[in-house]
Parts: sequence; structure tokens; C-alpha cells
Amino acid sequence: MLDSLTAALRELLPHDAVITDPVRLRTYECDGLTYHRATPGVVVLPESAEQIAGVVRLCNETGVPFVARGSGTGLSGGALPREDGVLIVTSKMRRILEIDLPNRRAVVEPGVTNLAITEAVRDQGFYYAPDPSSQQVCSIGGNVAENSGGAHCLKHGFTVNHVEACEVVTPDGDIVVLDRMDPGYDLLGAFVGSEGTLGVATKVTVRLTRVPEAVTTVLAAYGTIEQGGEAVSAIIAAGIVPAAIEMMDALSIEAAEAAVRCAYPSGAGAVLIVELDGPRAEVARQFARLLEICSGAFELRVADDPAERAAIWKGRKSAFAAVGRISPAYIVQDGVVPRTSLPQVLAAIDGLSREHGIRVANVFHAGDGNLHPLVLFDDAEPGAGERAEAVSGAILDLCIRHGGSITGEHGVGVDKAKHMPRMFSADDLDTMQLVRCAFDPRGLSNPGKVFPTPRLCGEVPGVRRGVHPLVESGKAEQF
Amino acid sequence: MTGGPGTGPDPKLIGDCVHCGFCLPTCPTYVLWGEEMDSPRGRIHLMGQHVEGTPITPEMAGHFDACLGCMACVTACPSGVRYDRLIEQTRVAVEREHERDPQERAVRGLVFSLFPYPSRLRLLRPGTGLARQMAGFLGRAHPSLGAMAALAPRVPRRQRLPRLVRARGERRAVVGMLTGCVQREFFPQVNAATARVLALEGCDVVIPRQGCCGALSVHSGREDQARRLARRTVRTFERAGVDTVVVNAAGCGSSMKEYADLLGKRPVFRVVDLSEFLAELGPAAERHPLPMTVAYHDACHLAHAQGVRAQPRALLGAIPGLELREVPESAICCGSAGTYNIFQPEAARDLGDRKAAAVAATGAELLVSANPGCTMQISAAMRRAGREIRVAHVAEVLDASLRGVSLGRDA
Amino acid sequence: MASRDVLAATGVALRGPGPGDLVGGVTPGVVALPESVEEIAAVLRACAGAGLAVVPAGGGTKLHWGAPPERCDVLLDLCCLNRVLEHAAGDLVVRVQAGVTVDALAATLGGKGQELALDVPFDSGATVGGTLAVGAAGPRSFRYGAARDLLIGVTVVLADGTVAKSGGKVVKNVAGYDLGKLFTGSYGTLGVIAEAAFRLHPLPARRRWLTAELAAGEVTGGLVAALAASQAEPSAVEVDRPAGGRVALAALVEGEAAEERALAVRDLLPGTADGEVGDTAPAWWGLLPGERVLVEARFPPASTAAVLAAAEEAGFALRGSPVSGRTWLTARDSGERELREAVTRLRGRVEGEGGRVTVPASPYEGVDRWGRVGALPLMRRVKERFDPGRVMSPGRFVGGI
Repeated sequence: MLDSLTAALRELLPHDAVITDPVRLRTYECDGLTYHRATPGVVVLPESAEQIAGVVRLCNETGVPFVARGSGTGLSGGALPREDGVLIVTSKMRRILEIDLPNRRAVVEPGVTNLAITEAVRDQGFYYAPDPSSQQVCSIGGNVAENSGGAHCLKHGFTVNHVEACEVVTPDGDIVVLDRMDPGYDLLGAFVGSEGTLGVATKVTVRLTRVPEAVTTVLAAYGTIEQGGEAVSAIIAAGIVPAAIEMMDALSIEAAEAAVRCAYPSGAGAVLIVELDGPRAEVARQFARLLEICSGAFELRVADDPAERAAIWKGRKSAFAAVGRISPAYIVQDGVVPRTSLPQVLAAIDGLSREHGIRVANVFHAGDGNLHPLVLFDDAEPGAGERAEAVSGAILDLCIRHGGSITGEHGVGVDKAKHMPRMFSADDLDTMQLVRCAFDPRGLSNPGKVFPTPRLCGEVPGVRRGVHPLVESGKAEQF
Repeated sequence: MTGGPGTGPDPKLIGDCVHCGFCLPTCPTYVLWGEEMDSPRGRIHLMGQHVEGTPITPEMAGHFDACLGCMACVTACPSGVRYDRLIEQTRVAVEREHERDPQERAVRGLVFSLFPYPSRLRLLRPGTGLARQMAGFLGRAHPSLGAMAALAPRVPRRQRLPRLVRARGERRAVVGMLTGCVQREFFPQVNAATARVLALEGCDVVIPRQGCCGALSVHSGREDQARRLARRTVRTFERAGVDTVVVNAAGCGSSMKEYADLLGKRPVFRVVDLSEFLAELGPAAERHPLPMTVAYHDACHLAHAQGVRAQPRALLGAIPGLELREVPESAICCGSAGTYNIFQPEAARDLGDRKAAAVAATGAELLVSANPGCTMQISAAMRRAGREIRVAHVAEVLDASLRGVSLGRDA
Repeated sequence: MASRDVLAATGVALRGPGPGDLVGGVTPGVVALPESVEEIAAVLRACAGAGLAVVPAGGGTKLHWGAPPERCDVLLDLCCLNRVLEHAAGDLVVRVQAGVTVDALAATLGGKGQELALDVPFDSGATVGGTLAVGAAGPRSFRYGAARDLLIGVTVVLADGTVAKSGGKVVKNVAGYDLGKLFTGSYGTLGVIAEAAFRLHPLPARRRWLTAELAAGEVTGGLVAALAASQAEPSAVEVDRPAGGRVALAALVEGEAAEERALAVRDLLPGTADGEVGDTAPAWWGLLPGERVLVEARFPPASTAAVLAAAEEAGFALRGSPVSGRTWLTARDSGERELREAVTRLRGRVEGEGGRVTVPASPYEGVDRWGRVGALPLMRRVKERFDPGRVMSPGRFVGGI
């Protein structure tokens, strides 16, 4: 199947745009989550929507699944290839097609990086607001697939709030435009965050945001994580909506110090980074109240210019990778709890950590309750990986138990598909699958992601749960 | 360690890569082609495949060869992956295990028997009879060598530097000075300016007779040649009795700073880049105004390999009347990268054009860089684009300001 | 009374239709009054079994919006599902049943100094569910986003009685598809919105309105762009213009420094505008300009001047947000042919600017309500999956969905 498809792909695309050499193919075997790997059957590097539509149509003719990939930075294995499928890589589609400042929007190809948009308009006083921490490398196409957030989404929202329209190649190979302006169902709202299971974005219209008049960043150091948590609650209770509220615990501070010498106050059990932005007069008043609220901190630092701000953010931004300096291996977890549950949940994580003898460093978007526990272990030690997995999984249970979510920004991908039934009922998942079946009745677009079991779209919902016998026996994929 | 026979890239260093991809947008070849295999992350993956037992295929070797060694990825990496070590170790493995086709072998052989030897290099200088005779032949025989000939600048009259240049005024330091191969043969005025600036700032400058530092060989996996040249250079400066060696060529400086790894023994002197040293020393001499707009180009081997970014900007910015302009995409390599524009002429040309456009966008009158290869590469690209720009080394700009003269015509 | 017989077995309260229950002029067979999600499911299951068409209703304030249903056997009146289920003030989140009125919700939230930053352009009596179902946006959607942007979780009941939820009660959540967005603005054609969770905002310390009068020619693309990008960050900028005549412009600024920021916004207006800053909204603020005839134009903000001119030419009064590129229009009802021609003329001009014109309320079926619909084939496929028997508000939506 794949062989005849590959021959057809070679006719459709320029010679260099079809990769079949096994050594080269393997470099695409995983995205930012290396735990899951699969060598793609074939990789294509198209340069236009028409080429992608052509590839998808060929996949349809041959019944071969396809997976789209941007920069390959995802942390849930959302771009994990299929050995029996085509990997469509958008990294050559990286033109900024239009910048329309009067209408505060830009039209870009999917391979354009998140930060490149901001760089293109910063001199004119605008920026693209969603700022995932991989923003210098992650692609807009990937952001759309994952509905990426970032530290500043507390105030400014997620990708879905900043995308005005998408040109999409549907799973059957049509090119359609989903536009917020159009009457009818909000298919754009459903498409953003669907993790590549409803098609491939080939052109994205994003909204641009005016650079705020003032930005003030405060770093507050507390003796304990509980005190930091209390300050977060007090800020919200005071009616302040900061652009970002970030927290790091002692272990993650230690890691950041080792990696980038961020020079956070020594002896801190927690540091809080609060960023205010908006009109100068408003920021000044909020800042005064913020200082009162944070008066319990044993040290306060204030940044007013970009250099000072960068110094404060340095430790936070390096935190994930920095943990590698204090532990041979680690799992980056992503879960959400209601903000007010943070103290109980952190205490429970601490309990899990002690019980399993596994260290957990906590870095989180405290403002919206998005935890990123970093579960540390030594992969050379027998059984440690399993214990770390257990702790990591138990943290997700905690999130669900407190009414939260199993993922705040990294996505479900292949990694958390198995956890979906713990958060959603079979009816919830079957109903979501109705959307999938409407877009992709043959189940060819990024199969195996988001949902725990493949669904056969011909079925009446609820008749069968689990894997279809034909799928299980390998005779059918998802017809 | 660059590893002895039988070793390849170090699996432990490979294991440090968490596959986050932060290196991708800084990698010149990824910027050009957008392919995973031609990114640092992809190349590390290929190294991993090799370590696991996959032999070096021609495709694999091609992706390693395409790496410019600019080390922008090392700067960008949040996990501290030593890609610089990894690619050097890998190049050794490629040289050892990969059978190149005869023409490629011939070109590489010629280059490595030419560049590290100033006396042989001299013959290639434009205006010499040999260069004229060879230009056409080179272009026909191999476009890469034609490229090299095209890049070579017009050279001012050769200047011989004395063995010792005395400090002006109060002596604040005694330093050794590396004259380099390409710098010495193609840009002698830069060495002269360097010596004058150091002297004007109160340094005795010791300039022993010297050969190649070994940088080009290190960067191309020619380990034995690299060690031989490095040992000789260490001996030269140890004999000169200096505890600091100032280097004005970024590629040489970055390699000399790694001598301990290459030779397994730390030299008794420390190696500093000129601007790094001057910033540390602090200004003593008066700066005269130089009213002009200047774009500063970050040489990869200075910005990424040595982390020297702020110092040259500070030195230039402190000159009265001089307006410093930032080049967009300043972290991306210009495509020169040592011998890269000889072995990978097309990619080098594309990168050069990209850099030329970025430099042109600044509208600056003068382009300043701290590496001879970059200067050759960018000025050639700008000439192609019909946007010729004056170029100078940081040392030349400082020299003009300290002496209160305008920059020379050739600068 | 077949419908009544079918539903009797469910035990859900029923009543006969009254004059306020007409859906686009169609009288329902019976009105069902479920009191729980389970009862909604029971009604829908029964209807699906008997092939009865169902139209969900909230406060009934816009039952005349959209095309009349092909059939309406059962009106599902959600007025009894009117509880605020959970107001987690510390989390700035609220969970409500769909029948809660927007006013009642505002009162509950206001007690804790919070609000749902969704100005609903309807009379009192509009419910949360109905507001979501039509997805209409108010002035402050410019700053806070529209209903779909504030909705973080939803519980829906499908035509076959399946109860499904998506999202949750945390603001940040990317697990699974976002059914809330799909159901927002779906006019009851995919199923019934039974419960919803929203993110909230703290009530602003102060509100100031800048009001001014401008000549139509002064509302240029440049002015709109400047207002939209102003670092004084107005929460809303609205214009009101009766057919022809001058344009009333108002901007809302919220926050502790609202006064000085409103003055900064005033500086952007042309010198002739004579803007005033005060603490009351103009009388027309946030209200729909018409009832029987209601047209909506969406357009790139820089095209505001062209849209104003097109509205005047076609004889429409206009009210709405130039900075969001979204305005309501209305005209005196002077007959079907006139309205049809006016809409066609307006649509031609607005679509030429890259915009869209829809007609939420029209007394005439001869008027094309939806105009150009981008991905209609995909929308039909979504409808077929969710409601294969076409029993949910059949015919009310785009393309006869």
C-alpha cells in the first residue's frame, strides 16, 4: 500500500520533498516527547496547501493514515508518526503572507514560528499574545492543533481566542476555510485544539494585540509554598487579573540556579512571579496593591525594563530543561486544578513523593491552576521509572478528583489518550467522536491520538465499546 | 575529549538532548531547508543511530558535512548539550569511516594542505601569478574552489609586524598576540590595528613567529593535524613567556580556548578574544569621534562558541558619534564558517545572501565583524547583490578612533 | 395530541402552547418543562423514538430569530432549570443550569464582586442557554471575547437522549474536543445545552463612558484602528446611527483609572467631536436597534466607513462595534420585496469588503437569512452525525440545517 502511495507522492511532489531513506526517516520518529517513537512510513515536506491536499487525497485513495507535524516540539506525542502512514511536515511552509495592522491581523503559513509573528510586528507596537514556552521554535500550525497557551494566557487567552480563520485541508482532501466571521457552526472553534484529528491547517489568520503601555514584573520570595499560594489567592480576591502568575518550589529553584544561575533569593521555599500589564495608570495602581498583598514575602524584586524582566523570567523559563541538571531523568506532567485547590493538591503531591521515594519539583502557572510537576528519577536505578510513572499518574488522579483536567496545555496526544476515560464518560467521548466522524469518517487523520479507542464511524454510538475485532486483528484500520 | 581511534560521538553527551527543538530556529541549515536531518536535533539523532550501530551512510555523512559548526545551537540549548564536542567527535568518525568520492577527496586534500600553511596560502592571494593562472582552472575543476578564489579579498601591501610592540604610556599588561593564517595573509592591516590598539591601551604586545593554531583542522575532523598544530602553537607562546594570548580571529580563539580538551592538558597561558580583553582591561586611551553608522555582525565563533556578544558592542558603542545598528537574525550564521564556503558552496551562498539582505536592511555604512571569514563572505554576498558595503574589523574601528584618524579606504 | 401522549410517559411536566411560545410563527404541539438534565434526556429520547421535532427555548426572547422550524412538535422550555450550580469565587468560575436568566446570574455574581463579562443584547428574561444558542455578542466582546470565549465547559443532551459534557470548570483545559464552541451559536440544531460553566471577571472598580457625536465621514478606518489599538484599552467602542444622520460614538473604559484613560481615548477623536466623559452609558448602549427586522454585519474593522456608507445607502439604521467589526442593523418594515432588495444591496457591499451579512430576524421567508456560508458541506455532516433524524430545530439554521 505504502509503496504504491510513495510512487504517487513522488509524482506529486518535488524530488527532495519525499523522504524514504530509513536513516532520515528515523529522525522524525518522535516529537518533543521521546517516550513514544515510531518511524514514519514516508515523510513529505510540502510547500503549499494544494500539495497537502494532494497528499491527503492520495492517502484517501489508498486508505493510508497521515499525521501532520510542525516543529515537533509537542509534549504529548501528538505528532507521533505512523509506521504505516505518511508524516506531513509543514516546516517548509513558513511565509508570513500578510500583515494587516489596521485590522490587527496577520495571515501566516502553518510552519511559521509563534515568535516570528511577534518579531514581524513588534516594531509597529504589536505582538501575538499566546506565548507557549517553546515560542521561538513551535509552529503556528502546531499551536492551532494543540490550542497552545503559555504563561500569559491567564489574562490574554489561548490560541483559540486569537485565531480568526484557518484554511484547512480536510481529512478527505478538500481545502476549506473556517472563518469566525462566517455564519453557521463554529467549526473553527472545534478545529482549534483537535490535535490534528480533524485535518491539517494550511493557512492561519491570527489576531495581533497592541503591546501594553506598561509592564511591571514582581518576584516575591516566600519561605514556604503555602505562603506563596496564599498570596496568589489574595491577588485574585483583590480583583487583580495579572497577565501572569507563576510559581516555582524550592527544588525547581535549585535546578534553575544550577542551569542558568538565575540568582533567585536564597532560602526561598517558593518564588512567585507576577506580571502586570495594561494602561500605565492601571498598572501603577495594581502594583501598589500587589506590594501590599505580597508584604509577607521575605524578598521582593521589581522589574520595569526588559532587561530586568528577562532576569526575573530567566529561571522560570529554563526550569523544565534545567531539571536535567539535578536528575538523570524526569517526567514533565501537565494537569489542572481549580486554583483554590492548589494548597491541598500540592500537599497531596508531597505525600505521593514521600510515599514512593520519588522527588517532585513543582513549576506552575499558579494563576490558572495549571501544574507542571516534574517527576524526577534515576533511569539507571531498577524500578525507579515505574515508581515515577506511578507518581505521575497519581497526580493526574488528584487533578481529576479536584474537578480539574488531565491537560492544561500539552494536549492529550498519544500519551494521555488512555487517561481520557477517567475524565470523561463513554457518552462524552462518543459524542466528541461524532465530530471526528463528521470530519474524518475513515479515521485517517492522526489516528490513535486524543481518544483511547479507535471508533468506527459507521457504528451507532454506544453499541460497541473497546477495540473492533477487525482492528484488533490488524485487518482493518478504521473504516 | 575529541576521542581517540575507535571512538565516535559520546553516548552520554547524546543522552543530554531532550529533543525539545529549541536549537532548530538557530540552525542555519534548518533555516534554509526546514528538514529535521539538517538541524542539530536531527543530527544528534543521527549520531545516536550511528552509536547504536548504524554505519555512516552517504546520506548521514552529507548531513554532518552540511553542519557549519556555528554553535548557535549551543547557545540556544537549555539543557546544555555539548553539540560542539559531539559534532567534532562525529566528524572524526566520518573522516575515519566514510569513503568519500574521489573528487571530494581531492578537494578536501587540497584545502587541508593549503589553509593551515600561511606560506602556501599566500600563493592564492589575488594579484599573484598563481592565483590568476589557477582561477579559471579551479572554477572548472571544482566550483567549490572557484568559490574560494572568488571570496578572496584584494589585499593591501603586506606589513610585517615586529616581535614586540611596546606599550604607549603606562604599561598595564603584557600579552601575546596570535596573527592567524587567513588574517595574516589576507587582512594584515587588521593585525597591525590590533597591535596598535593594544599598545595604545597600555599593553606590551609580544608577537612570536607562529603557524596555524589548528582551528580549521579541528572543525573538519582532521584530528591528528589539529593536535600537531595546536602543540606547536602552545609551545610558541609558552616560549614567549606570556600568560595571556589575545586573538582577533573568532574561529582561532574558540579553538584555542578548547586546547585543554584537544591536548588533554591545559596550556599555561589563557586565551582571550581582543574585545573580551579590552572590555576587561577598561579604556585608558582617548576615543576620538567617528561619526558613522555601523552594523555589528556576530561571528558565530565569537558569539556562540565564546559567548562574546556584549563586549564588542560596548567597545563600538563607546566611540563618540558612532551609531550602532543591530542586524536582524543576528544569531544566524553568514555561511562562511571556516571551510564551509569551500565544501558547501551552494548553502554558503544562500546563507550569505540572506545575511547580506539583513545587513542591507540596517542601512549602515560600515559592517564590523571580528572574523576574517565572515567579512569575506558577507562582503562578497553584498557585492553580488549590488549593495557593496565597507567592512572592518573591530580592531580597525578602535584603531581609527584611538588615533583620531578616519577609517582607511580599504577598511 | 400525539406529542402530549408520547411525552406523558416521561412524567415531565407539560403544558399547552401559549402566544409567547411561537417559534418563528410556528405553534408547538406541546410545551415540556423538564426540571433536570435527566428529564431533558427523557423528553428527547421519547421524541426521537416517535420522530417528534423539538425546539429548545429559554426566555423566549429570540424565538423569532432564525428560520421558522419545519416542524415543532415539542417546545422544550428550560425555565425550570434555573439554578446557579456552583460559584467558585476564588477560582473566578461559575457553573449554571441553562435556564438561569442572565440578570439573575449577574445578581448572584455581583454579590461577590464578579461578573460574566458578556453583555447580552436582549431584554431581561434572556437565559444563559438561549444566549449561548444564538451566540450573539455584546459591546464588551471586544475586550473579553464573545460567549464562546468565556464558556469553559458545557453539558449537552443530544437528540437521542445522550448526555455528554466537554471542557470542565477550570479555565485552562485542552482535554478532548470543545463541544461548547460547536454548540454556541448552533440555534438548537445539534442538541440541548443543559448546563454551562464560564470564566468570570472581577467587577471593575469604575466605569466611564466617553460619548461624542461625529459626522459619518469622520468615522474613518484610521480612527477605528486607533481606537482599537489604543493603549488606554477601552473595553468597548460602539456607534449608533439612525438611518442617515450623524454618528453617536461611545467608548467604555473600565478600571480604577477609568477617568484618565477615557480622556486618553477622547484625544483620539477628531477635534470637532466634543467628547464627554461621564459615568452613565448612553441610552442605546448594548440594546438591539430593532425587533422585527434585525440584520447583522460582520466585517474587517478597517472597513467601518464603507459599511456605514452601505447601511445608509440601503436604508438601514446601524448600531454596534466598529472595533470588533460587528454591528446590528435594522430598517422599518416596508414589505418583503424592499427588505430583500435592501439586504441584497447591503450584502453585496459588505461581502466586497470581506465581511458577511446575516438576517437573524425577518418577518419574510423570501429574505436570504445567511448569505455566504463557508464550510456548509462540513456543517451538514456535523448535523447528520449529531441529529441523524433531523428532530432538533429542523430547518432553523444555515442551509436549511
